[in-house]
Amino acid sequence: MFKNYLKIAYRNLMRNKSFSLINISGLAVGMASAILIFLWIHNEISYDQFHEKKDRIYEAWNRDVFSGKLQCWNTTPKVLARTLEKDFPEVESAVRVNWPSSFLLSIGEKNFAGRGNMVDSLFFDMFTIPFVKGNSQTALKETYSIVITETFAKTLFGNEEPMGKTIRIDNKDNFTVTAVVKDAPNNTRFRFDYIMPWSYLRKQGNDDEYWGNNSTRTYVLLKPNASLASINEKMKTLRKTYDSDEPKGEMFLYPISRWRLYSKFENGKESGGLIEFVRMFSIIAIFLLLIACINFMNLSTARSERRAKEVGIRKVVGASKFSLIGQFLGESILIAFISGVLAIIIVQLSLPAFNKLTDKILFIDYSNAYSWLFFIGFILFTGMIAGSYPAFYLSAFKPVKVLKGTFQKTRALITPRRVLVVLQFTFAIILIISTIIVKEQIHYAKNRETGYDKNKLAYMFIVGDIEKNYELIKNELLSSGTAVSITKTSAPMTQGWSDTWGIEWEGKAKDDKTDFDRFCADDHLATTVGLQMVAGRDFDLKKYNTDSSAVLLNESAVKAMGFKDPLGKTIRDNGKEWHVVGVFKDFILQSPFFPTKPMVIEGAKGWFNVMHIKYNDKNNMAANVKSTEAIVKKYNPMYTFEHQFVDDEYNTKFKAEQRTGTLATLFAGLTIFISCLGLFGLAAYTAESRIKEIGVRKVLGASITSITSLLSKDFIKLVLISFVIASPIAWWLMYNWLQNYPYRISIHWWIFLAAALTSIAIALITVSYHAIRAAKANPVKSLRTE
Amino acid sequence: MINITNLEKVYRTDEVETIALNKLSIEIKKGEFVAVMGPSGCGKSTLLNILGLLDDPDAGSFVFNGTEIAKYNERQRAELRKHNIGFVFQSFNLIDELTVFENVELPLIYTGVKASERKQKVDEVLEKVQIMHRRNHYPQQLSGGQQQRVAVARAVVNNPKLILADEPTGNLDSSNGNEVMELLTNLNEQGTTIIMVTHSEHDARYSHRIIRMLDGQTVTENILI
Repeated sequence: MFKNYLKIAYRNLMRNKSFSLINISGLAVGMASAILIFLWIHNEISYDQFHEKKDRIYEAWNRDVFSGKLQCWNTTPKVLARTLEKDFPEVESAVRVNWPSSFLLSIGEKNFAGRGNMVDSLFFDMFTIPFVKGNSQTALKETYSIVITETFAKTLFGNEEPMGKTIRIDNKDNFTVTAVVKDAPNNTRFRFDYIMPWSYLRKQGNDDEYWGNNSTRTYVLLKPNASLASINEKMKTLRKTYDSDEPKGEMFLYPISRWRLYSKFENGKESGGLIEFVRMFSIIAIFLLLIACINFMNLSTARSERRAKEVGIRKVVGASKFSLIGQFLGESILIAFISGVLAIIIVQLSLPAFNKLTDKILFIDYSNAYSWLFFIGFILFTGMIAGSYPAFYLSAFKPVKVLKGTFQKTRALITPRRVLVVLQFTFAIILIISTIIVKEQIHYAKNRETGYDKNKLAYMFIVGDIEKNYELIKNELLSSGTAVSITKTSAPMTQGWSDTWGIEWEGKAKDDKTDFDRFCADDHLATTVGLQMVAGRDFDLKKYNTDSSAVLLNESAVKAMGFKDPLGKTIRDNGKEWHVVGVFKDFILQSPFFPTKPMVIEGAKGWFNVMHIKYNDKNNMAANVKSTEAIVKKYNPMYTFEHQFVDDEYNTKFKAEQRTGTLATLFAGLTIFISCLGLFGLAAYTAESRIKEIGVRKVLGASITSITSLLSKDFIKLVLISFVIASPIAWWLMYNWLQNYPYRISIHWWIFLAAALTSIAIALITVSYHAIRAAKANPVKSLRTE
Repeated sequence: MINITNLEKVYRTDEVETIALNKLSIEIKKGEFVAVMGPSGCGKSTLLNILGLLDDPDAGSFVFNGTEIAKYNERQRAELRKHNIGFVFQSFNLIDELTVFENVELPLIYTGVKASERKQKVDEVLEKVQIMHRRNHYPQQLSGGQQQRVAVARAVVNNPKLILADEPTGNLDSSNGNEVMELLTNLNEQGTTIIMVTHSEHDARYSHRIIRMLDGQTVTENILI
């Protein structure tokens, strides 16, 4: 019986090639989109879930009030790890992982850059990172030991045996390779090329026991059966015991299962996070698949008159309804199978682009049995969904009616087919509206006044000998005419690295915990980056030698401090006094979607990591960069020259939103494509089934235009209904999305008009092909067919 | 074999009520060859549908092989039908996507006959209707007479006790029609009961008995043998 079904299914496919093509291509595109999204979702939900001890792994977090809001963050004092081990019997071990460092690694004469962390020695005991060579017990025992990944070992040593080899760090310390581990998978927060022991960090003098310095991440492994609730209760008062500065601050342990998807806190509680994207993407995947399935349903039932006779005969010769349902489901599963194979090809071809778009390394694991199981399940599921409605619809035909020609198609106002088309277009229109709004919002923020001049402004980090030779480099850049102005700063202009609520000034209220962005610059900052001064002047060490303790305030800071006449006022920060010499217009330091914060820029007595260069626009920019490279190389020969343009860097602030925009465009495009395939098929069917009516109308004098519009009208009505349903949903979704951005557009009516016109135009173009063809046909022919 | 009493069937549309069968009573014995005749709309097709268990009566009794089946539901009717009744239609009603062999094989598949046995039975019956040489052709590749012979083969492949033929020669020329009628007569001679609806006096003469209907009732019965 099964063979018989397969045969009929195959012959039906071949007989109606255009319908098969529409069905298969629509389903394939829908399935491919769903698979891509599933890969993304799988990657997200499996983040750090492969550690064998994951049920016992936690991260230490803080909860405290800042700027009037209860906030949570996960950087901890370095001293926390040992304290937890000492004070809490439930804790098996605590491991610190510091920020990625970028040491210069040398082997002989060759230099390498890599990304590494310094960690406590039990790191490999807590987290499951398989060893290729060496073992977790001895890997980080000695201070001068280094663990490298397989790939990094290849980079450093080629095919030579890496174990026991020496790597020189920052040109001063020799490290021995004690272990080689597998590369981190694509779903972990721990990404590194090498791992070094915490004891080296201590040796460099970077360890401290200060509770006020939240400077590292602390991971905790609890003993089996330890109660999280009781530990968290005790951790609430940990700072009270040890931290005299911030005794009210609470701490808590946060489980590994929630790190990736849930760790967005608002008012001290979990609030959304990546899980919202996971949910949204799941919905989109399901809808894309559903829309493709709807095509199949609509086209199958539209063609039902052709299949009706077969159903009738089969029933007469003894088929039960059940066996017919089986037959039709079998057909849809066959189509789903063909589409599924095509979908895998599409996925494989589009993965590189999708990975680039999502900034991930996703792949299909063909060696994993679960992948295949999922794939087969997915095909069956798709086939069942697509085939269910047609199967029940077709198998319900009464043989008496279909075999005796009294079979009538419905002329009802609301048919399932129309409802399904409306559903498809509703989804498409929601996506069209969302796409326009996301793009508008990005455009709006991009056009926002930055507050400084990004043009021809570049920066580089002060690494190696740049600090020592700073004056020489600066002078040579200026005297060679490469640069017109140079300043040292604490951070790039596009990044806020430091903030504080500890600034003091005359008249500050006792409970005032206003948070200030803290920035430092040595000399000629306003000139270099083009700040707009509204009062006072720029730093100028040559003219005013007291400027090393000068400070610039932005307008918001002046307002926050309540200064009527800020120039000459003194403020204190961390025990140092600074005198105000100038006020500048607020500039965007961090997100262009958020209001600017009060900001202080402290003078040459501050700390510096970055050098900003305003290039001479009389020269060609490439020449400027080349000469800068030559000069910097001369004074800092060990390091590779790395240098960023501020406006490129500034553009990355829109990365997340641009990605959202691109994804919305992509999904909208796919939805429209699949929906239009279906519409195209339906239009063909309608034109065919009304061929006699069209013939009669033409004989009676109807024009081609009037017939085309007659055939298109019905579909346009459906699109309009979809628009009416989609608009409020889209408005609500995008209204909520925009709430994430204090600096945002309002949703204009023209966006909806544009979406309506776009969707109508698309539908019209799709439908008109068949409508015009039917209208142009010779009525003599069409009337003879009856 | 068949005993119907006071059978009624009414078709309703929004405004019109059509009485198709009006307290109809007929008895058909095992092994009979009965022709049903009458003008269009007299109810003969309705009668055939009910006899063929494709439709259910609104009232009255229908005893098939000693069992009252007027109140059977669709599944029960389907079960009874596939083991006992074969159909021959005016428009052949072969499935276009299946070959001659596959069309004839279909009833055997639905009654769960094994593949090897199916092949043997189908070949046997194709031989009998002399269409063996076309077993791998599709219906469109055959003449009308050949198609109807395939349809007859399909109707008898399961050895049904009853064959219902709805104007089996209606779409055929006279020589092809005669061939089909000969085929039916042969089957009847081998013991199969046949009920045939026809407009053709010529065809009716092949039967044992002619039931003439008008307005949902029998008017006369002519016994021919």
